[in-house]
Amino acid sequence: MIDERYYKGNVLNKWFAISSILMFVSVILTFIDDNDDEFKEYQKEFRALEVETSKTVLTEELEKVKSDRIDFENKLVAAQEDYNNKNSLLVQAQKDSAKLNGKFYKANAEFLAFKGLYDQIKFEYESELLEHQHHDNEDENVKPQKYKNKKKYYDAIEKLQVLKLEKEKRENLKDSKIAEIKFIKSNLKKAQDELNIVLKEVNITQSKIEKLDRESMTFQNQIADVVRDLPIIDFLDPYYEVKQVVLEDIKYDNNFKYVPVVDRCTSCHLGVDKPGYEDAPQPYTTHPNLDLYITDASPHPFQEYGCTSCHAGRSRGTSFVSSAHTPQSEEQQAEWEEKYGWHYLPLWTEPMIPTKYTEASCFTCHQSQPILNEAEKLTTGLNLISSSGCNNCHLIQTYDNLGNNGPPLTHLEQKVDKEWAAKWINNPQSFRYNTWMPHFFNQENNSSPEMIKRTNAEIFAITDYLFEKEDKIEYNNSNKYLGDYDKGEELFNAVGCMGCHIIEEESVSLGEVDTRYELPTSEHGYEPDPNGDGYEKATRYSLLKLQGPNLIGLGSKTDAEWVYNWIKDPTVYWPETQMPNLRLTNQEAKDITAYLLSFKNEEFEEIEAINYDKEETENIAKRWLVKAFPEYQAAQMLEDMSEKETIDYVAKKSISFYGCYTCHNVKGFEDAKPIGAELTHQGSKSYHKLDFGHIHDISHSNYGWYEQKLANPRIFDRDKIVEPEDKSRMPNFYFKPEEIEAITTAILGFTNRQFGDNKITYNLAEDKTQFEGHKLINANNCQGCHIHDEFGGQIVDAIGTQDYAPPNLNTQGIKTQPDWLFKFFNNPNTIRPHLQVRMPAFNFTDSQWNSIISAFQSLENHNLDFENDLIVDKNTVHFKAGDKLHEFGACNNCHFYGTTFPNGEPQTWAPNLAMTKERLRPEWIIEWLRNPQAIMPGTKMPAPYLPDKDILSTPDAVETWGKDIVTLNGDKEMMLEGLKDYLYTIPGKLDITKEVKAYFSKNGYGFMKPEEEEDDDWDDDDW
Amino acid sequence: MLDIIKYIVNLLHEPTIAFTLLTVGFPFVFPPTDWFEKKHRQLHIDKLWSNTGGVVLMLLVVAYFALGFTDKNAYIIFTKPDNVPIILMAFTVVYFLWLSMNQAYRNDERLDRGEKPDEYNDPNDKILVWPDLVYSELISIILMTVFLILWSVYIKAPLEEPANPALTPNPSKAPWYFLGLQEMLVYFDPWIAGIMFPLLIIIGLSAIPYLDINLKSSGFYAFKSRRTAIFAFMYGWLVLWIYLIIVGTILRGPNWNFFGPYDYWDAHKVVSLTNVNLSEYVWVKAWNQGLPANPIKREFLGFILIFLYFAVPPFLLAKTKLKDIFKQLGPVRYAFLMFFTLSMLSLPIKMYLRWFLNLKYIVSIPEWFFNI
Repeated sequence: MIDERYYKGNVLNKWFAISSILMFVSVILTFIDDNDDEFKEYQKEFRALEVETSKTVLTEELEKVKSDRIDFENKLVAAQEDYNNKNSLLVQAQKDSAKLNGKFYKANAEFLAFKGLYDQIKFEYESELLEHQHHDNEDENVKPQKYKNKKKYYDAIEKLQVLKLEKEKRENLKDSKIAEIKFIKSNLKKAQDELNIVLKEVNITQSKIEKLDRESMTFQNQIADVVRDLPIIDFLDPYYEVKQVVLEDIKYDNNFKYVPVVDRCTSCHLGVDKPGYEDAPQPYTTHPNLDLYITDASPHPFQEYGCTSCHAGRSRGTSFVSSAHTPQSEEQQAEWEEKYGWHYLPLWTEPMIPTKYTEASCFTCHQSQPILNEAEKLTTGLNLISSSGCNNCHLIQTYDNLGNNGPPLTHLEQKVDKEWAAKWINNPQSFRYNTWMPHFFNQENNSSPEMIKRTNAEIFAITDYLFEKEDKIEYNNSNKYLGDYDKGEELFNAVGCMGCHIIEEESVSLGEVDTRYELPTSEHGYEPDPNGDGYEKATRYSLLKLQGPNLIGLGSKTDAEWVYNWIKDPTVYWPETQMPNLRLTNQEAKDITAYLLSFKNEEFEEIEAINYDKEETENIAKRWLVKAFPEYQAAQMLEDMSEKETIDYVAKKSISFYGCYTCHNVKGFEDAKPIGAELTHQGSKSYHKLDFGHIHDISHSNYGWYEQKLANPRIFDRDKIVEPEDKSRMPNFYFKPEEIEAITTAILGFTNRQFGDNKITYNLAEDKTQFEGHKLINANNCQGCHIHDEFGGQIVDAIGTQDYAPPNLNTQGIKTQPDWLFKFFNNPNTIRPHLQVRMPAFNFTDSQWNSIISAFQSLENHNLDFENDLIVDKNTVHFKAGDKLHEFGACNNCHFYGTTFPNGEPQTWAPNLAMTKERLRPEWIIEWLRNPQAIMPGTKMPAPYLPDKDILSTPDAVETWGKDIVTLNGDKEMMLEGLKDYLYTIPGKLDITKEVKAYFSKNGYGFMKPEEEEDDDWDDDDW
Repeated sequence: MLDIIKYIVNLLHEPTIAFTLLTVGFPFVFPPTDWFEKKHRQLHIDKLWSNTGGVVLMLLVVAYFALGFTDKNAYIIFTKPDNVPIILMAFTVVYFLWLSMNQAYRNDERLDRGEKPDEYNDPNDKILVWPDLVYSELISIILMTVFLILWSVYIKAPLEEPANPALTPNPSKAPWYFLGLQEMLVYFDPWIAGIMFPLLIIIGLSAIPYLDINLKSSGFYAFKSRRTAIFAFMYGWLVLWIYLIIVGTILRGPNWNFFGPYDYWDAHKVVSLTNVNLSEYVWVKAWNQGLPANPIKREFLGFILIFLYFAVPPFLLAKTKLKDIFKQLGPVRYAFLMFFTLSMLSLPIKMYLRWFLNLKYIVSIPEWFFNI
């Protein structure tokens, strides 16, 4: 043996023991570390919450059924007593039953056993038959001895029959005994069942609690409940587990490959799909809109859309930090940092979208028709983008603009003079505080004295270029174009101008503004004022009346000749204009012109004109030239230019630099490209790719940057040394905070996400033209006057009552015959004679009108262009009944019958019934007659009285109602059918526009006025 | 006061200063010749390897990191989970360096006194393998495993989101053990820094037993008897490898710009880097001509210089200073030794050429992807 050692005794053994224990402890630690996932804590907490809630529900349910329960329990007790009394009977029956059962069992067994034997005999006999056939011709002698199984077989059949009868007899006896027992028990069972129905909810809750609450479990279940979540075996069926859904159609870019999103949010957000946790703390809160999301019945079920397809974030994350939550505010961020150790995931490009911007995600799928009533903020944002013309400078492939926003600048001299134009370009809000024209000048990066010198020279050059032909010689305000001011005002307010325009003189202050970004003040427009008493927040609805400009100060801008010609036919001056033609008579146009020109802006008139600065103009020209050419060449080129050429050169450079041509038609820039950065995928842009410059105080996120950029587009130049030609040039629109929020929402919607084809609304629609129609309806502000798709009709605020406002377009898609509607659009005639407001004529192509009709139809899931004419048989009973009912209804009190005027007063006048057969669809008429209020809330049309069976069975019914109605015997459907048929036979002139016009030009629209006469002030909130 | 210290520390970390100090000071710490040996003792640097010296060394390392923890910017870098191994490395390298040198110096003294080295076991210089050695190795393995488990549990592996080619981290850093190589990329073409040098390091290390046939003081730590070899190896190991790893980890920030340990890593820092090739120096600057189109003609001087660098010094040294070694090793071994040593030395040479002459490449033939 070796006795020579370095270490004496058990030193090494002791160390081995210590290290082994340490090893063991560390292994245990790994298990603990492996199983203490964050989501398990949440699941435990939620389980407790669920138990608590279920117990509350249980108490509530018990309370609910308290009284019923007593009744049914008494019944049960009575039944039980009855049952107990019959006990001796039952015992006997059960004894008999057992005996009979035994006998049946024996008989059945014997039968089955012999059946086996029988099958064998059958087989043997069959084989014999077969064999015989084969040997038939070979050996005749074998024949006599054949079929030795034949008798055996027939005997077996007989015996089997006997056994079968015996078995059936026994079975019958047994079954009747069972029925007897059941009958004895039946009352009790019935009472029990009835009680169970009453206690259904209670029982469901009870069993739920038994599954959840460990204390309520049986002992075995308690053990199982612990064991199922033990490490290693928890792969089988654990209670605490990652809950996930794989979204096959929604993919994300995992470097060169798109993989399905795997959403694990519900591992912690456990109550999100369960009603009843609305007030529970996060992460257990119920989703606020289960009708639209998550539930299977909603259009966006959880199994198909998950959570991150709308909210973004890191879908596979199972902890608070790794799922890329985004705080709503700085306070929340601080709270999270402390509570969860929260931090940005620097490499995850799509962090969760803050809740206020979640609507952005709707755009991903709904981009072909992004005007969604449920997404007010997104829709407002998109409308603001179109109205402000963002998508003129910034290409947005998924949301293009339908046309230039600003008027053409090609024949400006007809409208305004040079001085006015220069002052306007310099400071548009000083003329019109809420114009869509943004501010390029007097911004933070170009308001130093040197820059103002430069920009004034630029403005002068631009104006000079635009008025190349000539300046406006003189303002022609001859009486040829001017009418009566009062009549003009009345017309302006009534005829429909206010569907798109306002005339509101004063701007209001913003009230208290609390933004995370810097919001600059505007000299003339809205400005943050801590003492301001609030203002009308920009909403989708409030934007409707800003479709056209606020028509203040026109008298300081242009002359009567231009206004008169413009409102007579806008397309002459601007062929692509969205301003429709209201078919004004010459006198009407004159009156309106007189009214509009009465508004002047004296403050603006007093602003000093911008003068020519030769030195600065040359300086600008030189700087631009030097950018493109070597200095010596640039100097030579400048020397070679005449003064006029220099100005033109500066003008062209400036127009290109500021991008005037993207919104306006400018001569010489017909093919120029947009100047802004493309925004098609801007929402997916990571904040790393945005230049924050030296601005550190704002949220370092892409939306934080967009908010700040929209609030003050030039801010990122601050504290930088930038050449004038490289300065930020995005103009300032002076957006208000809620507008910034809406536009940011829309920008965040422009993403490069890849969703499956079957998730994109465009692919789901059968008729694709509807999308063009919806766009046209939105772009041309149809909803300024009409309620369409449950939204719009703001003109009613100006008219005062829905009675005199343009019709609600609810059910329009199934209301009118498409070919009639098509004709009407192209040549609008009078339908509602009592309306002073007019349907204008729009300058649309046939296919555009068709797409609008498609859009109407798409809302009703109706898609049919051509239909058979209704052929009415006048000899049917229901037709005759309809005729009679129509008489009772006194339709002619309000409705025209061709040129026959109604009996009633003009304010109640209603459409010409002779037009019905051309105009309306029969199915719709029936629905309309059934309940007019449901289709057009607030309509004056009453539902026709249809007598019911009881009334028609009175003795004098025939006398009162006529025999045809009585024959129908209260069948309302047939009565409606009859009325409809009758309406289709009413004769008369279809277009009564002339007659109606003649009446009103004689009698006026006095009936509309009474309430309004005193309210000249349009700012008044009372109307 | 603290600011001044931090400023000085930042300044000292400038690669030019730090590297020069290290290179110049190195022979005084590991003296390769008698003269340095004399200075080494005169300046009491040998005390570094005494027990007190060990304590001081460890205290210096602790102080270095402790000072860093008081600074916002250094704190971020020092506490990054990726950088924990580097800090551990700093401690372990210093500790084991001290341990081995301490033993080497003790043995030197024993040998001077005519005694056997410390590790010698009477009577037959034998080691008890079973069970003592094997058993204690097993215990060490277990304890090391425990350490690694605890480390992995309490400092999680810094796993991040899936890599995204559209959004790469800045700076993009290699794993810590490759940061020395990544640092070399600053000075060399990728094929040299990324392929040739790693290969040479591996081959060179494998070749050491074949090149080093000196049997003196084998089997125990000693310094005096092989001071040149230790000096050369230590320079390569500590300065050209460990130091470069530390630079790559702690001192290289966004865009691989240099930042002192207390500097804020400003991603927008702009550093002018106008580097010029040798051929441009020759043809354009010296001779006022355009560059010849033929790459061989263009780069002829570079080729000649490289050739001379590898050919002339071995010859001269074999005749003069290294006469003994040449005799001892024979021409083949000597040639290899020279090749590896000169390759190693080319790194500091190239670094200085870059810093002081803005020299980009000595031979630059981008047409053939061939740059030196």
